[in-house]
Amino acid sequence: MPKAIGLVTCNYTTASNDDVFLGRPVASMPYLGRYRLVDFALSNMVDAGIRNVGMIMPNNYRSLVDHVGSGKDWDLDRKNGGLFIMPGTAFGTSRTGARFLIRDLVQNRAFFTKNSEKYVVLATANFVCNVDVKALIAAHEASGANITVLTKKASCDGNIDVVTFDVEDGRVKGMHQGVKFGEEAFLDYAIIERELLLELLDSFAAVDHLDLFEALNSEYGRFRVMINEFDGYMKPIFDKASYFKANIDLLDPEVLDELAPQGNREIKTKAHDNPPAKYEPGCKVTNALIASGDRIYGTVENSILGRNVIVEPGASVRNAVIMQGVIIKTGAKIENAIIDKANVVPAGTELRGTDGDILYLKKN
Amino acid sequence: MSKKECVAMLLAGGQGSRLGVLTSKVAKPAVSFGGKYRIIDFVLSNCANSGISTVGVLTQYRPYLLHEYLGTGEAWNLDERDGGVAILPPFATQTGASWYAGTADAITQNLGYLEGQDAEYVLILSGDQLYRMDYEDMLATHKANNADLTVAVMPVPWEDAPRFGIMNCAEDGRIEEFVEKPAEPKSNLASMGIYIFNADLLINTLKEDDKDPDSTHDFGGDIIPKLLNAGKRLYTYQFKAYWRDVGTVASFHEANMELLGAEPAFDLFAQDAPIMSNSSTRPPAFVGPKGSVDDSLVDNGCTIMGSVEHSVISADVFVGKNAIVKDSILFPGARVEEGAVVINAIMAERSVVKPGATFGSADEETVTLGDDAVVEKEA
Repeated sequence: MPKAIGLVTCNYTTASNDDVFLGRPVASMPYLGRYRLVDFALSNMVDAGIRNVGMIMPNNYRSLVDHVGSGKDWDLDRKNGGLFIMPGTAFGTSRTGARFLIRDLVQNRAFFTKNSEKYVVLATANFVCNVDVKALIAAHEASGANITVLTKKASCDGNIDVVTFDVEDGRVKGMHQGVKFGEEAFLDYAIIERELLLELLDSFAAVDHLDLFEALNSEYGRFRVMINEFDGYMKPIFDKASYFKANIDLLDPEVLDELAPQGNREIKTKAHDNPPAKYEPGCKVTNALIASGDRIYGTVENSILGRNVIVEPGASVRNAVIMQGVIIKTGAKIENAIIDKANVVPAGTELRGTDGDILYLKKN
Repeated sequence: MSKKECVAMLLAGGQGSRLGVLTSKVAKPAVSFGGKYRIIDFVLSNCANSGISTVGVLTQYRPYLLHEYLGTGEAWNLDERDGGVAILPPFATQTGASWYAGTADAITQNLGYLEGQDAEYVLILSGDQLYRMDYEDMLATHKANNADLTVAVMPVPWEDAPRFGIMNCAEDGRIEEFVEKPAEPKSNLASMGIYIFNADLLINTLKEDDKDPDSTHDFGGDIIPKLLNAGKRLYTYQFKAYWRDVGTVASFHEANMELLGAEPAFDLFAQDAPIMSNSSTRPPAFVGPKGSVDDSLVDNGCTIMGSVEHSVISADVFVGKNAIVKDSILFPGARVEEGAVVINAIMAERSVVKPGATFGSADEETVTLGDDAVVEKEA
């Protein structure tokens, strides 16, 4: 019997104004041709044997519910437990920086009281990473910490949305927003005893507008919050540039195999009945990720194509992320761009961004 | 159990021995096809797309993979409360146990299941054919003819007719004579092994046939002639679209290749009747910086670092650097290592052609490599 239940908060926003994120929650952002960002948090939990996962929803939850359904594709359609779709408190999305907003957790207190598992695994949806949550639980038990947070030492200055912990000898002393080179960036995965979480929710009731870890800022002396450093591939996705990079990074079979391996740690997602991709006579495809259901007549280089994309004869796609259902008509040229779902790029059109400023064509 | 109009009984127990090593470990309906599917997907998808939600699947030969693959039938939307997929392998009774001795005997041994469905019509299907058919339309024809039995037929080239069971009919489609493999055919309408029976008639006929010591318990050989002799109303349902019975390595290879090209004979992409499958959750295929793919189907999870031309590539296939794959069919998990050459070949699941090795040639017949088999480089 699994020792933990999971909670994925899907209802916060980013500081970025990039319109990539307009109109949909970050959690249901299409990623890598066939996934949605929430797949990573759900799969990581399920792969650790967790079969009881709550999702706190944003107000624009249509795409997210459409994606997760009954939770069947993650084995979360259980008689006992399974997937729980839970309301958030805020209208719209929570403010920047709030990950585990206390009032969201309080509102769904029943989820924590009606289950008897010892631990709660907390996660958000905008870190792309394949985390061994079972090992994380084991490390948490071995360390005797009150809370264990998953972190990674930043290899460069990073996004303002990323939460950073001030750490001494592996123990958290404080937290702040934004990350600089060498700091311990929070990957939004944490483990806490369920009983302790309930106590904290009660004691922080007066400051329920805060994030759990913000509220703890004055209490890090009292509670032992320990870091666990993640050493695999991970990418925080909070703006257009990081979203684009997190796709292009995967044009490396080793990284791809680490993030989405075969077998026990597979990233699960909603199944679709697409035929295999069809590479038509005379097409040219190099250094690209091509999802099922695609039909390619033209040229594709250094790009990621989502499901059911058509690249017509004479069309070319270079250094681009093409989401599902896009049709690129004859002779159209796309470079340094993100083309959102279901767009039809007319014949002969040229859509070019630059390395520094990726062009984005919004969802049709 | 509520009354149903039409239930399907799907014969999926055949070995498909002429497919050689491809069926050494799995039943023919479970053989990989078209880069993403198993052969049985086509007929199950037809059922789902035709509104038939109760399908009894008769299994016998090496059924593990088939049973696992079918599961609850949810991949074909067949996991319904009142119906769905029922897996029907041979079983024991108080008087002993026996294998399914023929197509009709397989149904006879499961009359308990069939009678429990309380259906008006029974659709008999084979799990090893490739085609897209609307069984509702066939049922409408059956009803319009007020038929006792309707047999789906298709015109075959006259020179091929002696290889088939041929129906000689009146102008209105009523069957007057059935001849198995006629030396001098009078018609070119071949039976496809797809039947719609009035359920009561089927059940009674099977019970009688079961007692007949001279019967081979086969639909074509015994049941149809008996019903014709009894003066029952047997009609044909003419089908003119794509249909293949992939009985041999050559026809299996050809049917896969017919999915390729600018205008494939069978269009997997047709939207109105999608072919459903119990698919895996793998990332998109990666075509490497020096990889190339031309005129091919490639499923998710593949890594293509070499060259793939005019081939059908299933999930999780690896093609190494400088390797060449041409005119071939690779089943899930097959590996063509660095510098290896695979031409005019069928590689079954997880089979490997080692670095620098060669398998198959354009000048000879299509070669096959069984599940988990390995081809080493010749010294």
